[in-house]
Amino acid sequence: MTTWLIVGAIVLGAVALWLLLPRGRKAGRRLGAVLGAIALGMLLATVPPLGGWFTQGLFWLLAGLTIASAACTVSFRNPVYCAVWFGLTLFGTAGLLFFQGAQFLGAATIIIYAGAILVTLLFVLMLANPRGQAAYDRRAWEAPLAATVGVVLLGLFSTGFFSTLKAMPQQTPAQVAAEKRQPPGKYAVSALGAELFSRHLVAVEVAGTLLLAALAGAVAVVAQHAQPGQVIPRPEGTVPPAREPNEVTVR
Amino acid sequence: MNEQALWLGYQLVAAALVALGTVGFLARRNMIVMFLCVEMMLQGVALSLVAWGRYHGTLDGQVLVLFVLAVAACEAALAMALALMLFQRRGHLDTAACFRLHEPGQEVQLVEQVSAEGELEEPEPEPTWPHLPPAGVEPQRDPEQEAYRSHV
Repeated sequence: MTTWLIVGAIVLGAVALWLLLPRGRKAGRRLGAVLGAIALGMLLATVPPLGGWFTQGLFWLLAGLTIASAACTVSFRNPVYCAVWFGLTLFGTAGLLFFQGAQFLGAATIIIYAGAILVTLLFVLMLANPRGQAAYDRRAWEAPLAATVGVVLLGLFSTGFFSTLKAMPQQTPAQVAAEKRQPPGKYAVSALGAELFSRHLVAVEVAGTLLLAALAGAVAVVAQHAQPGQVIPRPEGTVPPAREPNEVTVR
Repeated sequence: MNEQALWLGYQLVAAALVALGTVGFLARRNMIVMFLCVEMMLQGVALSLVAWGRYHGTLDGQVLVLFVLAVAACEAALAMALALMLFQRRGHLDTAACFRLHEPGQEVQLVEQVSAEGELEEPEPEPTWPHLPPAGVEPQRDPEQEAYRSHV
C-alpha cells in the first residue's frame, strides 16, 4: 500500500510539476495544481499516525503549507511572487522546527532567513526590475526533464527512508536515554547554547570570521566600479522612474 | 508521540523540499529564483538534520543547522552582490548570459539556439489600467475650438 502511494505521488508529482513550471503558455496550470495537491496528499498519507488528532492535524498543516508554498516558489513566473512564497516556506519550516522542539532554530530561521536574507533578495529584485515579465521568467529550461529529475530524487530518498524505518529499533536512542534519566536538557535553548560555546567554540569563531569576510567581499564586489564622477548608464530594458535622467552620476 | 513516525514525516518533508529545490534550480532561468531554490534545498537539509538530532537525543544536528544558517547568510550576501553586478552590466538576470563567456577569438555557439528557444507562444500581457467612470457634466463643445484643434 505504502509503495503504491509513493509511486502514485511520484508520477502525479512529475506531471504536476511539468504542468506548473513556466512554459510560455498558461494552459494546464490549474490541472497541475490539482494533481500536485493529490500527490502531496498521497505523500503525506504514507506517514504513520503520530498520536492525538491535534498533533496529527498540526503536522499535516505545517508540512502541507511548507511543500505547497515551495512548489509555488518554483513555479511562479514573477520573481517577486517567488520570493514571497519562499517567505511562506520559511515560516512553514520554522513552524516544523518549533514542532520538533528546536525553538532557537525556529526563531533563527525567521529572523535570519525571512528577516535578513529574503529582504536583501527583495531589495536586489526591486533594484533589478526589468520592464514587465521578462522572457526568461516566462520560459523554463527543459521543464519535463527537470520535473523527472526532481521526482526520481524524491523516490530514491523515500525508498531509503522506508527501508531505514524497517531496520530501526522499537525505541529511538533518545527514548532509551530518557528512560535512563539522561534527558538532553530541560531548557532546549540554554542546552543548545552550552553545547555551542563548549564543544563547538572554534567553529563559532570561524563562522563569525567567515561572516565578516563575506561582508567585506560583498562590499568590494559592488563598489569596485563606482568611481567618483563616473557616469553609469541605466541598463537597457529597465524603466527609469518618472522625472529622472537616464543615467546616474556617482558622487 | 510516535517518534519513528515523526522522524519519517520530517524526512519526507525534507526530501520534498530538496527535490523541489533541485527542480527549480535546473529549470528556472532567473538567477535570483535559482538562488531561492538553493536556499530551499538548505531548508530541507536543516529539517532532516534536526529530525536526526531528535532521533538520537543530541543537539549536534541543531548545531550543524546553525552553521548552515551562517554559511547561507554569507552566500546570500556574495550572491546578491554578484547578481547586482551582472544586472548592471547586462540589464537582465538571465543565466543564458553566461553562455557568452568565451575566450577572445573563439566562437560562441549556444547563444543563437537559446534565443530561438526563448520565443514565446503567448505575447506579453498588456499592462491593465484602471477604468475611471466619467464624473461631472460634459462641457459644452466650442465649434470654434473644434475647427482648429484636432482633439478637444
